[in-house]
Amino acid sequence: MPLELNETTATLSDVVTVDEVEPLVAWLRTTIKPKVNLRRCNHLHTGALQALLLFQPRITSSPTDAFLATQVLPLLRGSSGGPVLPESEPP
Amino acid sequence: MNPLLAQFLAEAADLLSQVDEGLLQLERDPSDPELVNEVFRAAHTFKGSSGLFDFPELTRLTHAAEDLLDAVRSGKLSLDSGMTDDLLAAFDLIRGWLAYVTTHERLPATAGPAGQSLIVKLRGPLGGEQATVNPSAATVPAGPVIDRAPDWLSLFDEEWLEKSATWLSSTSATMRFIRFTPDQGCFFRAEDPLHLVSQVPALAQLDLIQPFEWPPPEEYDEYACLIGFVLATRAARGELDYLFRYVPDQIEIVELNGDAIRRHLTGEEPPEPRADESAVAAAAQSQAENLELARDAYAILTAAQRSLTFGESLTGVRLSAVARSVAAAAAALGVPVETADPDAETLNAQLTSLLTEARPTPDETPPPPPPVERAAPVDRGRADDPGGQVGTRILKVDQEKVDHLMELVGELNVAKNGLTFLADAAEEEFGSRVLSRRIKDQYSGLHRIAEELQAAVMDVRMLPLSVAFSRFPRLIRDLSRRLGKTVELVTEGEDTMADKDVIEALGDPLVHLVRNSLDHGIETSADRQAAGKAPAARITLTAVADGDAVIVEIADDGRGIDPDKVKRKAYEKGLISEEELETLTDSDAVDLVFRPGFSTADQVSDLSGRGVGMDAVRASVEKLGGAVTMRSQLGRGTSTRLRLPLSMAVTQVMVVSVAGQRFGIPVDLVVETVRVPSGELGRVLHQDVVVLRGEVVPVIDLARALDMPWTADPAADRAILIVSMHGQRVGLLVEQFHREVDVILKPMEGLLAYADEFSGTALLGDGLVLLVLNMKEVLSLAARAQ
Amino acid sequence: MTDNRPKVLVVDDAATVRLYHRTLLDEAGFEVAEAANGLEAVEAALSTAFDLFVVDVNMPKMNGYTCVETLRSETVGTPAPVLMISTEDRPGDADRAYAAGANLYLVKPVNAERLARVARMLTAGVAA
Repeated sequence: MPLELNETTATLSDVVTVDEVEPLVAWLRTTIKPKVNLRRCNHLHTGALQALLLFQPRITSSPTDAFLATQVLPLLRGSSGGPVLPESEPP
Repeated sequence: MNPLLAQFLAEAADLLSQVDEGLLQLERDPSDPELVNEVFRAAHTFKGSSGLFDFPELTRLTHAAEDLLDAVRSGKLSLDSGMTDDLLAAFDLIRGWLAYVTTHERLPATAGPAGQSLIVKLRGPLGGEQATVNPSAATVPAGPVIDRAPDWLSLFDEEWLEKSATWLSSTSATMRFIRFTPDQGCFFRAEDPLHLVSQVPALAQLDLIQPFEWPPPEEYDEYACLIGFVLATRAARGELDYLFRYVPDQIEIVELNGDAIRRHLTGEEPPEPRADESAVAAAAQSQAENLELARDAYAILTAAQRSLTFGESLTGVRLSAVARSVAAAAAALGVPVETADPDAETLNAQLTSLLTEARPTPDETPPPPPPVERAAPVDRGRADDPGGQVGTRILKVDQEKVDHLMELVGELNVAKNGLTFLADAAEEEFGSRVLSRRIKDQYSGLHRIAEELQAAVMDVRMLPLSVAFSRFPRLIRDLSRRLGKTVELVTEGEDTMADKDVIEALGDPLVHLVRNSLDHGIETSADRQAAGKAPAARITLTAVADGDAVIVEIADDGRGIDPDKVKRKAYEKGLISEEELETLTDSDAVDLVFRPGFSTADQVSDLSGRGVGMDAVRASVEKLGGAVTMRSQLGRGTSTRLRLPLSMAVTQVMVVSVAGQRFGIPVDLVVETVRVPSGELGRVLHQDVVVLRGEVVPVIDLARALDMPWTADPAADRAILIVSMHGQRVGLLVEQFHREVDVILKPMEGLLAYADEFSGTALLGDGLVLLVLNMKEVLSLAARAQ
Repeated sequence: MTDNRPKVLVVDDAATVRLYHRTLLDEAGFEVAEAANGLEAVEAALSTAFDLFVVDVNMPKMNGYTCVETLRSETVGTPAPVLMISTEDRPGDADRAYAAGANLYLVKPVNAERLARVARMLTAGVAA
């Protein structure tokens, strides 16, 4: 079960596919002060990453997956509260 | 057309047919390592050449095919028929592209998508495995080319960029920077950009491209991809191209070194020569050239150092070769060294000091020249170079040139034949035997030279039968699959040579016969097994030379022809009488299939149909001056034998005249010429006959058959030309015999094109046009005239 | 007619590539001869003293590595510079070329100016 939704915490585990994106977004829309646990997550679909970027839930626990931990997590941390980078156009 | 492109197209045609042929053989014998190697090599050579042109789709597709073949060659994959299909399809597509290139000098606009879908298929069996070879090797020039830092570099963390610039400068290394901008709908195509990013090897840094403005949460569409990525990696360009192969339009890759990044960070523009300051530009260019020169010299020195590490005992030729290259590179760098009589140790020491001194400044190299420049300077190939052409002794000549040469030989023959008319005239009109004699001597000298010349040109025109056979492996493979039959093709004697016109003309009849075999002759595997035969049927194509003729045989081990069925059918169609139905021998019965009107609609199938029957095959072969015979054994198979002249270019004809008009008859058909007193002509059942050595030979009045006004002088002997048609002797009553001549037969044109009684025209030495008779038609005309 | 230009032997099984190299090197001031595989190259080198060899790697009959080894062996024994040019850019390929006796390994298609430059550099001592 890649997605477990509680009152305030969503637990993402294993491979989160595009099928989990819709329930995740629905949950994020309605949950106040949502928290997301990524510890056992091995892969995050781009749509799920995008949702986390938009709704900026608190990430309660770092993923053990190396790629997610070293490359993706900083993106989520960096975006929360920080300035949104403008989309660049090619020169 | 640019000669380099012309060369490529000519070479490509050869390579593609090698690939096709090899693949089909390989499918039958997938374990033959030599075969795999051959196909791989042809594909490899093809790819290498294609890289010289700006045909990226072509190179990419060939590369995918090459990779698959390489995996087969190395034993990682075994070739199955699905892969063979894809490979054949790929090379078919390429063949189509090249046809387009031939006329337009560019690839068709559809090449990209068409090629891409095949690339996906070809890469399929290779799985997610990383490319072991650099897929872009053919299009990327040697050595990394440093790009200009793009604006999107600012999306990276600045602190990280600073650190990387320093690190890259100190190691004079480069890194690949990628901007990945998936389109909004990509989730619907089951794409997951982040997954792709997670596959990037040696990922050094990842940052986001976020939308300029996020939509409010209530309007947010979770299935629209709004973000993108920028990333930096030390993975090779080839790996990246391979990884992102399905989304090439969504990525941009640049190669940057430390300086390029630093310039971006300081906002400095890279030095670029300005067009209006030509002196500065020239200086900059010469500086760039010097830099390039230094770089190359450095590369040579590094290579030399590398060479010295292989075996300490580098001696003799190899050592002096290295020493020479070191001396050359050092001289180019302006620091000449003494390398006469070198030893490895001294050389190594010299190298070390040179390499420290000569290290080129890791500066930005000028951009690579556009690909056009690579193919541009080709007009000055030195065809007159006496030292050239060590390897290639084979000359490829345009077919038209050979045809033209043949025409000239024909005209020479005609002019030569004119001398004999002149000799006759010298004697008859001017009464000079001596002059006539001398003209004849001249003639025989010229005749010998003309004959040799003709033989030489004919030899050039000779092609192996393999050219005609080459299409059958593919044809049989495709058709047998469609019919659900298992057929093995065996070809023999494909080295037999015949004139190219014969080979070309042989194509259609052969295809028809092979299709016929597949369609009607060969049973399904189940039927075969029930009949106690091997489940796989066999079609054998054989060619043998037989004097001036070539015999091509198509044999199958199928169900054979039932002579009784054929006879009954022929009788039902009114082709034979009731008496013949009873008396015809089995072999004569088989021959009935060649009768016009025998094969009709109920036999027309998808394959051999098209409303053309065996009669058309016989007609077209006979038009070439050949003959077709068929033998069949019920339950055992059928074999059809085509006998064709080795060459059609020159035909020997016997000239006869009737009603003052001259006609030619192919000498092959002529048995003899006889003169018989008019009284010896007999008449049997309204048919004139002559008895020759006990055999009754029907005699046909040529004038009557051709509807010409002439009646033989009742007092004079009858001139009768005996010809042989389908093993039957027939006499032709003519007015006069003339000599035999060699002529170049031209097909009938204009008004006469539909006159079936003539097979062609030829120009005679005295300038007159000779009509050459199509004996088969003449005989049937005569039969109708009776 | 004698030609004082340095002699280069272009060895490649692809006729198109040979024509490309021939044209480039002819323009760069070389007298160009061609061979379609390693075996032909060795034969040519036995009868003509070449000043430079430009050798492809993957060829039928005799591949580039063996060809270069043979050129450097006692059979031929030429110390003339050898440029190896290949479509492959795998690790170890260049070292194989250097171990065989090549002087520089380049990856196809080689930039025209670079080929001319390197060829001239390596034959600078030969009277033109």
